[in-house]
Amino acid sequence: MAKVKIENLKKYFGKVKALNGIDLEIGDGEFVVLLGPSGCGKTTLLRSVSGLEKVTEGRIFFDDKEITNLPPKDRNISMVFQSYAVWPHMKVRDNIGYPMKIKGFSKEEIEKKVLWAAELLNISELLDRYPAQLSGGQRQRVAVARAIVLEPAVLLMDEPLSNLDALLRVKMRSEIKKLQERLGVTTIYMTHDQVEAMTMGDRIAVMLSGRIQQVGKASEIYHKPANIFVAGFIGSPQMNFYKVKTVSEGANLFVEGEGLKVPIKKDPNVDKLVLGIRPEHIYLEKEENTMEIEVEVYFIEKLMSDTIVHANLDGGSRIVAKIPGDHEFKEGEKIKLYIDKERIHLFDPKTERRLDI
Amino acid sequence: MIKKILFWFVVVMVAVWFLTPVIMIVIASLTPSSEYYNPNKIFPSHLTFEHIYKLLFVLGGWKATLISIEVALVAIGLSFLIGLPAGYAMTRYFFPGKNAIRIGILMTRSIPLIVIAVPLIVIYMEIGIADTVIGVALAHTAMILPFVVLITSSIFSGVSVEYEEAGMVFGLSRFQSFMRITLPLALPGLAASAIFSFIMSWNEVFVASILTLTNRTLPAHILNTAMTSPDYFKFAAGTIMAIPAMVFIFFTRKYLITMWGISLK
Ligand SMILES: Nc1ncnc2c1ncn2[C@@H]1O[C@H](COP(=O)(O)OP(=O)(O)OP(=O)(O)O)[C@@H](O)[C@H]1O
Ligand SMILES: [Mg+2]
Repeated sequence: MAKVKIENLKKYFGKVKALNGIDLEIGDGEFVVLLGPSGCGKTTLLRSVSGLEKVTEGRIFFDDKEITNLPPKDRNISMVFQSYAVWPHMKVRDNIGYPMKIKGFSKEEIEKKVLWAAELLNISELLDRYPAQLSGGQRQRVAVARAIVLEPAVLLMDEPLSNLDALLRVKMRSEIKKLQERLGVTTIYMTHDQVEAMTMGDRIAVMLSGRIQQVGKASEIYHKPANIFVAGFIGSPQMNFYKVKTVSEGANLFVEGEGLKVPIKKDPNVDKLVLGIRPEHIYLEKEENTMEIEVEVYFIEKLMSDTIVHANLDGGSRIVAKIPGDHEFKEGEKIKLYIDKERIHLFDPKTERRLDI
Repeated sequence: MIKKILFWFVVVMVAVWFLTPVIMIVIASLTPSSEYYNPNKIFPSHLTFEHIYKLLFVLGGWKATLISIEVALVAIGLSFLIGLPAGYAMTRYFFPGKNAIRIGILMTRSIPLIVIAVPLIVIYMEIGIADTVIGVALAHTAMILPFVVLITSSIFSGVSVEYEEAGMVFGLSRFQSFMRITLPLALPGLAASAIFSFIMSWNEVFVASILTLTNRTLPAHILNTAMTSPDYFKFAAGTIMAIPAMVFIFFTRKYLITMWGISLK
């Protein structure tokens, strides 16, 4: 187990800047999830940390020891590959035990640890099968078992659940999380699934185009997104964004635009802004600190547990609200919605950064 | 139903087309000489290994067979020594000019060996390896090597690079990972291509006849001697030539298909 420090890491493939200055510190035993859309550089970062990819610039430390140029075998890491990469010519038992065999452990020790890992992942009865005789979910467990037999300094996982069906994915999510807590191994977990990130990570690092956009606990990222990309990437349905301007009426400040006018407390010192409001922070009933708006229903999505209302504002802009429960609205119907004034987000349209007001 | 009949009809026709000459050759090679020229007998009354025995142990066929095997083994050894790493590099690494090299390798196959055989014998005589096993083996290496590079490259690309990388992550060096993970996974395909290379060398006759005089390989020896022998010796020679290749292909047909077509899982 180790803490990990990544300093200004860059990786270029010719002109493609796959990683463009990554800085990240991960505590001992911490579970950090790297979340980002396809092609943002997750796999490249993972391969750089594992040593499978030579970095263009920057440094990586495990526990203050620089490992930037060490070959993978000397880094004491384990990895669960996106495709699992369970060796097809070895039985499950030998797959799990192979990392120990490489390091020269005795037969008895290997057997003991293999049984332990198999038990932990519920695959004890599969030990004498070949990978070709396993389902995707079982193969994934074998890959995880193989990754934990040696108690690595750092455990790397590259979208390990992306090939599983939805049900199994939910189940494995909690299992991996529990397993990591029990082992206390420092873990870097890549995913493009925000639910996975939110539920599993001690902290989440949101990535885009080879850069980390924001690092923080799930609640921080959700409630205080650092920029427009993070705000839009996290949350489903996506946050509503509006181009607004600051206006003052006497002592009161507002942001106004696209048919919305919302009071703000502090002067952001820029006149043009982007206002963001999450669909789940728009209510059907009046509550404290809300602001009434009138909208025309465009269409609705009924999820039974929630109703997603797509509606038009006065100015013609679209607004999406997520209302708990099953509701009936007609298209074209005029309804009143209530925006939570405490839950609005403001961004600078030039830098796209969050403005705290 | 009609389709099925048609299918089997075609299958039988193709089989007859290919097998009849082979069977005729084998039968003819086992026919006693007294009956061979008897026009009243189509099938011999009994079979004899006399011609094959004579060809091998009286007429120098056995020595030629051994030379053929030596030549093939040396040629395979050299081809794989150079071709295997080259094939590996072709799939696993990106480097400038890779496609040009690939096409260049293919181009060498378009030059008939017979064209280079004559200049080659001149060079061989200068450096003193004319009429030697190593001389023929080198020429056969030139013939087999491009095939080995291209085919091993396609075999290695059928073994996911992630298996190898997993090996490296869990404590192997790149070379160890190749030896312990990739090689075992590629082995059936590699074995098939080795056997195919063997047959390529085994069957090659023109270059071998030009480059040797006393140390002839089996096909060169047969070409040289059989032309002046009675027919049943010619057929005996054909049998000796064809049987090993056919046996090899029979036992490795599954791998040969994998090698040429569908990639390894
Ligand atoms: N070997 C390579 N050569 C050239 N470009 C590459 C190479 N590997 C990755 N890239 C590029 O680097 C960028 C990041 O790729 P990467 O595989 O890290 O994305 P990712 O975040 O893992 O995506 P996904 O979620 O789809 O797996 C992409 O634009 C990709 O095209
Ligand atoms: Mg990836």
